Amino acid sequence: MSFIVESSNLTKAYGGRTVVDGLDLRIPEGSVYGFLGPNGSGKSTTMKMLLSLIRPTGGEVEVLGQPMNRSTRRQLLGSIGSLIESPPGYAHLTGAENMRIVQRLLGLDDAQVDFAVKTVRMHGQMGKRVREYSLGMKQRLGIAMALARQPKLLILDEPTNGLDPAGIEEIRELLRRLADGGVTVMVSSHLLGEVDKTATVLGILSQGRMIFQGTRADLFSAATPDLLIDCSDPRRAQSMLARAHGARLEDTTVRLAGVDSDEATAGVVTGLVAEGIGVHGVRRDEQTLESVFMGLTAGGGL
Amino acid sequence: MSAIVVNEFARMRHLHVVLLVAVLFAVVTGIGLYAAVFNPDFDRTSASSWNTLLMGMGSGFTLAAPLLLAVVASRLVDAEHQGGGWLMSATSGVTPGGLCRAKLLALGLLVAGATVLVSAAFAAVGLAVGIDAPWPAGRWLGLTACLLVVSLALLALHVVLAARVENQLVGIGLGLLGAVVALISTAVPTWIAHLTPWGYYALSAAAGYVDGQLAGFAPSYLNIGGLSAVAAAIFALFTRSFDRQEV
Ligand SMILES: Nc1ncnc2c1ncn2[C@@H]1O[C@H](COP(=O)(O)OP(=O)(O)O)[C@@H](O)[C@H]1O
Ligand SMILES: [Mg+2]
Repeated sequence: MSFIVESSNLTKAYGGRTVVDGLDLRIPEGSVYGFLGPNGSGKSTTMKMLLSLIRPTGGEVEVLGQPMNRSTRRQLLGSIGSLIESPPGYAHLTGAENMRIVQRLLGLDDAQVDFAVKTVRMHGQMGKRVREYSLGMKQRLGIAMALARQPKLLILDEPTNGLDPAGIEEIRELLRRLADGGVTVMVSSHLLGEVDKTATVLGILSQGRMIFQGTRADLFSAATPDLLIDCSDPRRAQSMLARAHGARLEDTTVRLAGVDSDEATAGVVTGLVAEGIGVHGVRRDEQTLESVFMGLTAGGGL
Repeated sequence: MSAIVVNEFARMRHLHVVLLVAVLFAVVTGIGLYAAVFNPDFDRTSASSWNTLLMGMGSGFTLAAPLLLAVVASRLVDAEHQGGGWLMSATSGVTPGGLCRAKLLALGLLVAGATVLVSAAFAAVGLAVGIDAPWPAGRWLGLTACLLVVSLALLALHVVLAARVENQLVGIGLGLLGAVVALISTAVPTWIAHLTPWGYYALSAAAGYVDGQLAGFAPSYLNIGGLSAVAAAIFALFTRSFDRQEV
C-alpha cells in the first residue's frame, strides 16, 4: 500500500508541554482518513505540521512522497487543499470575489473554480457577501477554496463543526463523492459519529498520542464486545457473576464485560447450568464504534 | 508577485480604501490651498506665491496624512485578521510577511498617485492664477518626493503595527497622535522633528518663514533619505520575522 502522508515520530511542544507526541501517521492513498480525538488532543496542531504551517519540534513529515518543510511547502501546497480551524473568507467580499482571490493566487482557470463551487453546491450563493453566509455556507466556501486547485490530498479540520444534522450529512456525502473521484481526504472530528460512516481508515488521538490507527474492522477486533446472557433467573445469575465478570442486569439480560474467549464463554454457561439456571440465549453485544472509541479514549487516560 | 499585489487591490473592494485615499487627496488639497491662498504673502506678482503654495502643500499632508494613512493600512490588514486570511494565504504558500509587503506596495501605489495629483493640482492653481515668477521645478519635485517618502514610511509602520496588534484602535490612536506630533514638529527645533517619523513632514518643507520673512529653501534631503533607509530596514526586518512566525 502506498501512503500519501507519512510522518515519523512527529512531535510538537509548546513551552515544554508536548501537545503532539511521536505520531507515526500513515494515510493510504485514496482513503478517507478519519482523524479523531477530543478537543485539545492535538488534531489541528498535527494538521498544521503536515502543511508545514508550524514547525515540528521533532520528527519528519513526508507528503506525496516528498519531505514537507519550509523549502518544499510552496510547491507541495499547490497539490494540497486544506481547511484548518475556522473557515476562511473575507466577509466584506462576495463568495465569487473570494474565489477570484484564490484563483489568482494559484493561477487557476475558470473551469477549476466553477467545478469547485458546483461540487460544494454554492453556485447559487456566489453573488452574496460572505458576511451574509450561514456557518454551513462558510464551511462550504472554505472547502471550495481548498478544492479549486484540484488537490490530490484534502485536509479538512472539523469541517462539520457547528453544522446542523442536514449540513453534516451534506459534508459527509461530499467527502464520499470526493473520495470516489480519487482525492485522498483527511478529516478530523471530535465526534466519532461525524466521520464514522465515511472514513475508511481511522486514526485516534488522545492527549497528543495516537492510541489507534487502522481500518474500522481493525478497531472492532481490538476491543472485545460485551457478552449478553438471557436465562431463567437473571437476578441470581447476575449476583453469581458479579464478582468475576462485573455482571450487570439490563432488564432481564445479564451483561458481562471482558469475556474474551470461547472457552471463557463456555465456562460461564456451564457455571450457570450447574446452579440450575436455564440458559436460553448467549450473544455478543452489537458494538458501536462510539463505545469502542469511548473505551479507547478512556484507556488513554482521558 | 504581481498576482499577490493584484489580490490586494481585489481585497480593497468594499473597504473604502480608494475612497479614503481620495479623501486624503481632497483634504490635503483643500487645507493646503486654503492656507496658501489666504496667506497675506500670496501675491501673484512675486516668487513668494510659489512659496506659499509649497508651504500649503506641506501643511495639508502634516494635518491630514498621519490619521488617514493609519486608517487605510489598518482596514486592509484587519481584513486578514477578520477573514482568517493569514492562514488561508499560508495554505497557498504566501507567508504573512509576503502579504504585508504586497499591502505596502498596493497602498503605496495609491498614495503615490494621490501625492502626485496633489502636487499637480497645486502647480495648476499657481499657473492658473498667473503667478509671474517661474515655477520652482526643483524644489517642487523635491517636496513632492519627500512628502511621498514620509507617507510611505508611515504606511510601512502602520502595516506592521496592524498586522502585529490585532486591536486596530491601537494603530488608529497612534495615527491620531502622529497628527498632533506632526503639527508640533513644525514649530519646534529641527532636532526634535528628527525623533519621530511624523516630524519628517516638517523636514520636507521647501519654503517657510526665516526671521519673519517668507523664503524658499531645499528640503532636508539627506535626513529624509535616512528616514527611508531606516524605515525600509525595519519593515524588512519585521516582515521577515512574520515569514518565520507560526500561524
Ligand atoms: N500556539 C500555541 N501555543 C501554546 N499551546 C498551543 C498552541 N496551539 C495549540 N496549543 C495547545 O495544544 C493543544 C492541542 O491543540 P489543538 O491541536 O488545537 O487540539 P485539537 O485541534 O485537537 O482540538 C491544546 O492544549 C492547545 O491549548
Ligand atoms: Mg482543532
